[in-house]
Amino acid sequence: MSLLTVNNLKVHYPIRGGILRRKIDVVRAVDGITMELERGETYGLVGESGSGKSTSGRAIIGLESPTAGEVTFEGQKLNQLKRQDRREYYKDIQMVFQDPYSSLNPKKRVNDIIAEPIRNFEKRTKDDERRRIQELLELVGLSPESMHKYPHEFSGGQKQRLGVARALALQPKLIIADEPVSALDVSVQAQVLNFMKEIQRELDLTYIFISHDLGVVRHMCNRIGIMYNGRFVEEGSAEDVYDNPQHIYTKRLVAAIPDIDPANRKHQTDFRREVKKEYDNKKAEFFDEHGGVFDLKQVSSTHYAALP
Amino acid sequence: MEQSQQAETMADPQDMDAGKSPPGWRILLTEVLRDKVALFSLLLVVSIMMIVYLVPLFLSQEEIVRVDLFAIHEPPSSEFWLGTDYGGRDVFGQLIIGTRNSLTVGIGVTAVSGMIGIILGVVAGYFGNTVDNIIMRIVDFFFVLPTLLIVIVFIVIVPQYTVWSFIFIMSMFLWMGIARIIRSKALRERELDYIKASRTLGSSHLKIIFTQLMPNLSSIIIVTMTLNLAANIGIESGLSFLGFGFPEETPSLGTLISYATNPTTLEERWWIWVPASILILVLMLSINNVGQALRRAADAKQRRG
Repeated sequence: MSLLTVNNLKVHYPIRGGILRRKIDVVRAVDGITMELERGETYGLVGESGSGKSTSGRAIIGLESPTAGEVTFEGQKLNQLKRQDRREYYKDIQMVFQDPYSSLNPKKRVNDIIAEPIRNFEKRTKDDERRRIQELLELVGLSPESMHKYPHEFSGGQKQRLGVARALALQPKLIIADEPVSALDVSVQAQVLNFMKEIQRELDLTYIFISHDLGVVRHMCNRIGIMYNGRFVEEGSAEDVYDNPQHIYTKRLVAAIPDIDPANRKHQTDFRREVKKEYDNKKAEFFDEHGGVFDLKQVSSTHYAALP
Repeated sequence: MEQSQQAETMADPQDMDAGKSPPGWRILLTEVLRDKVALFSLLLVVSIMMIVYLVPLFLSQEEIVRVDLFAIHEPPSSEFWLGTDYGGRDVFGQLIIGTRNSLTVGIGVTAVSGMIGIILGVVAGYFGNTVDNIIMRIVDFFFVLPTLLIVIVFIVIVPQYTVWSFIFIMSMFLWMGIARIIRSKALRERELDYIKASRTLGSSHLKIIFTQLMPNLSSIIIVTMTLNLAANIGIESGLSFLGFGFPEETPSLGTLISYATNPTTLEERWWIWVPASILILVLMLSINNVGQALRRAADAKQRRG
């Protein structure tokens, strides 16, 4: 049984207008995504801004209420649960937020921040709790003494580690990482990413990794879903998507990954021009008359693409 | 300053808490201590409060408001430190008790209206959407009511008219401003990820409001309440001056000042109304000074310390 199944998940926001503020239209932030996660893998959700990748993550954990579709975690349909029962699942699904500056309460000391989930779900004595916090801080590579500091006394990377420590406090099975490194500078990005991979091996974690950085996603993920306008354009293993993109949108996205070798620069530029031309020519073929994305079709055993 | 802090840290290296950074209230305190005007104002307000709340323990209000026809309009003397009014009542005693009554009203109104305003503001801001809409329409409704008129009517029809009923009726019309300020700040805070993170960590709404949201509103609450206190003392005096405050048996700063509506008193018997006027000025200015210092402390960009 897979750890998490998302079936035809939709999140629509109403657009209200007119005198009575009636619903006149909807924004289809997420418009029917389906995915399956096995334990221990890292699933990458990639797309441009506004493609609905963050909203998908938030809907899975329950911060947004889905308009339609279901999220099944270990065989339990999450969005049919009552609030109270659903709370139990927060233990197993945790989230690392995009902005380390706003995701930690500025008025709280580190020990209170990390202790929050522990106090909510586990009955521990003061000493036991303190030990656990120090353990977690060591796990994310911070000194145990930092438990008495405020978040503003840490650098961006350290703050993001605090966010990870908090997410790990309950030993969850699934962590949704919503652009965990996009607010950090590049040297720190690598640090946090490698650290996340390390603890994944150590603690047998499953990640949903939301990002717009294709390089980062390739480094982190086994499987990748490319999102466009709230739908999947292509889904498959990292090799499928990077080496054999089927949809022109994916092709263009992959072509945009920067190459570090200046010798290839001319070649890369030409290649990008070519892909752009192909994209412009075939745009009408790959999207329906409203610019929407087609349903996914199977390309190989692991590879799906929204082909006409 | 830095040296003394280091010395403190070195004094007890065993203490785990030595490396703690200053908590929020310490920042507020430091800011007030740094600002000499605010510090002086704070001391002044505290000492005035001490005097007016402690001295009446030895003075009886009935004794002071008893009419004494043989001592009408006496100028200041050793017997009557600030003279007497047209009923032969000791002005100094009235000043002490009056200040106490005015302060009690000010503090009471600030506390009660603050409670209502904070609760509604936080609830509106935190839950947003429909809840916010309903509460804000109630606020709008209270804003358009002719406050002064209703207060005056209330005062006229209520038979037993005490400090407490006055606090109650004033608070009913003074909580909206606070609710709006708190709500706007709460609306901004709730969009931040730490509130959302709290939800994914399994905290209930009530817990999030009290342990996550409120600490981040604390500085704005303290500042608003302090500045409101100064204004509320003024409101009581204003109403009393107009004759809709307390009756003469319950002296207040406003009743003392309203004696000055009599032209002879205004011109010749300064001891009746000047001390009360100065006291009210000093109180409001001082509380305002402290409030301004607190406001600076709440905003790291303006901080001096």
